[in-house]
Amino acid sequence: MNMTLHVFKKEFRDILRDKRVLRIAFIMPIFLVAMMMCLFGFITTAVSKKHGQVVYVVKTDNPAEKALVKDTFEVVEIPDVATGRKLIREGKAHIVLNFGELHPDGQTVIDAYIDPKEQTSQIALVMVSKLYDLTNKQLLEHDLEAKGLPLSSAERFKIRQQDVSVGQQGGASDVLIGILPYLIVVWAFYGGMSIAADMIAGEKEKNTLETLLISPARRTDIVMGKFLALATVCLVSSLSCFLGLVLVAAVKPPGTAEMMKGGFGVTPTAFFVTMIVLIPLVAFFASALVAISSFARNSREAQTYLTQFSFVIILPAMFSQFIGYTDVGHSQWINFIPVLNAANNIRMALMGRVDTTSLAITVGISLVIALVALRITVTLFNKEEVLVRV
Amino acid sequence: MVRTSELKKHFKDPKTGIKKAVDGVTFEAHPGRILGLLGVNGAGKTTTLRMLSTIIKPTSGIAEVGGYDVLKEPERVRASIGFMSTSTALYGRMTPKELIEYFGGLYGLEGAHLRQRIAYVREKLQLGEFEDRLCDKLSTGQKQRVNIARTILHDPPVLFFDEPTVGLDVVSSQSVMEFIEEARTDGKTVIFSTHIMSEVERLCDEIVVVHDGIARGQGTVASLLESTGQTSLEKAFLSMVGFQSTYAGRPA
Repeated sequence: MNMTLHVFKKEFRDILRDKRVLRIAFIMPIFLVAMMMCLFGFITTAVSKKHGQVVYVVKTDNPAEKALVKDTFEVVEIPDVATGRKLIREGKAHIVLNFGELHPDGQTVIDAYIDPKEQTSQIALVMVSKLYDLTNKQLLEHDLEAKGLPLSSAERFKIRQQDVSVGQQGGASDVLIGILPYLIVVWAFYGGMSIAADMIAGEKEKNTLETLLISPARRTDIVMGKFLALATVCLVSSLSCFLGLVLVAAVKPPGTAEMMKGGFGVTPTAFFVTMIVLIPLVAFFASALVAISSFARNSREAQTYLTQFSFVIILPAMFSQFIGYTDVGHSQWINFIPVLNAANNIRMALMGRVDTTSLAITVGISLVIALVALRITVTLFNKEEVLVRV
Repeated sequence: MVRTSELKKHFKDPKTGIKKAVDGVTFEAHPGRILGLLGVNGAGKTTTLRMLSTIIKPTSGIAEVGGYDVLKEPERVRASIGFMSTSTALYGRMTPKELIEYFGGLYGLEGAHLRQRIAYVREKLQLGEFEDRLCDKLSTGQKQRVNIARTILHDPPVLFFDEPTVGLDVVSSQSVMEFIEEARTDGKTVIFSTHIMSEVERLCDEIVVVHDGIARGQGTVASLLESTGQTSLEKAFLSMVGFQSTYAGRPA
């Protein structure tokens, strides 16, 4: 164990001196989380922003047009529909409205011209539709009132949202719940991947490995020291995502207020659960990375294998972002799928829900895989045909 | 002492089946003497030294270093040897001071004994002037001094040198050879692998000529010259390895 620690200390010091690793494994996740928060904040603000939204209207005398201006839309009048179509095709207009004649029964048909593939057009259409739905409702209520009928006649069935509190209060926002588990899991892998190629394959290439192999240290001690150093980097890299959140909470960049309204957004329980699922997961990642690095002849070959292997990690992690749109997040079988199970448990914890059975299965599965991977890694590192092949 | 008997190393080759890198090498090296392994590139010298230093396992035969069998007690063998070659590089992001301490730990040195050994190699190889600079920033000669310090730090009774002067300038090569001579004076068992005749003539008390994985001859420089009837070691070596000129001369 002493020899393993001795190798670990050296490896970790070596890693800390590699500026490339510091940038990729420690600094990048912090800024990536902060940037993603800003980006999502910007998009959310843009989507909900009504003030100043430009609506092109074919010149009309219809009084319904006034509702647009009243609702803070910016109205630009154009001479005809052809001009409107041209503006949409050129990407200059999101929506063009053409008010029809006022029908004797009081109805006005408004043709809304949009590019259905353009999301900004769809957003504008939703906003305009909402405005006229509200106007329709207000006019109907006015008519009902005039005829002495109850206002409830306009809305025979009214949906009233009643929030049921599940789990702990003060959890993370929707956006955080969507992206944070993915980032935490992915950076646990990418943080280590940035140095894995150098760790053994790089040593083969630079001829430092033989220097190590001719020392009396057992190969198992050497590989365990390297594994521990890599696992530490994976864990720190992953936890750097939380530092990104702290940064956003402290600096409060524009657009992030809505996402951070609950404060930091990660409860102590959520953090604790994250740590519990992360530790066996980084053990699995670190052993797999060391095994690949041991097997490869040189850094270049290791990079190729690592890139291929990264897809095995990214796909289940990526699915965790969309799991909220399905029911599988609550299914027990999902806890048997490595990587996805960890991301899902972190997601649930961020939502304020902790299911001990799910957590136990996830930790158990990750631990078994980590031990198998570590066994393979140690075996590979003890095989001369793997270690000294050139 | 180092002893090998019918030492063999065969590798599986996907193209040719079996590649016999070393195919029965027998020799003995003794304390206070330098044994030279002389051969062309690919002759099997490095593979022999790799087996002796337990990096790879022999396919068959016997190899003992300092009285320990390389298969049965590999850790004790490694604790008994110092190995220096062009394939034993330094960690670029460590300073010589850190590197020496690190290897001291790997060799099980600690406390006062470690400090005493570090002080010894630091003084002997004059590492003080650059001991806090990263190894990546050192000159070739300085790197070589650090490499020697790492090799002798644990005061091993057996030293292996695998083409230690390749890529070095005349001055650095001279330092390495002086160091090897000093090791002999200190009573170390030295095995020196090279393809440079002048180095063999200067350093080696005994020579094993290795070619195609087989020991083609063994003896002192004088005895090899006598047995081959040649006037120089180079000619004697070429005669032992069955050299035939590939140059056809002027066409008729």
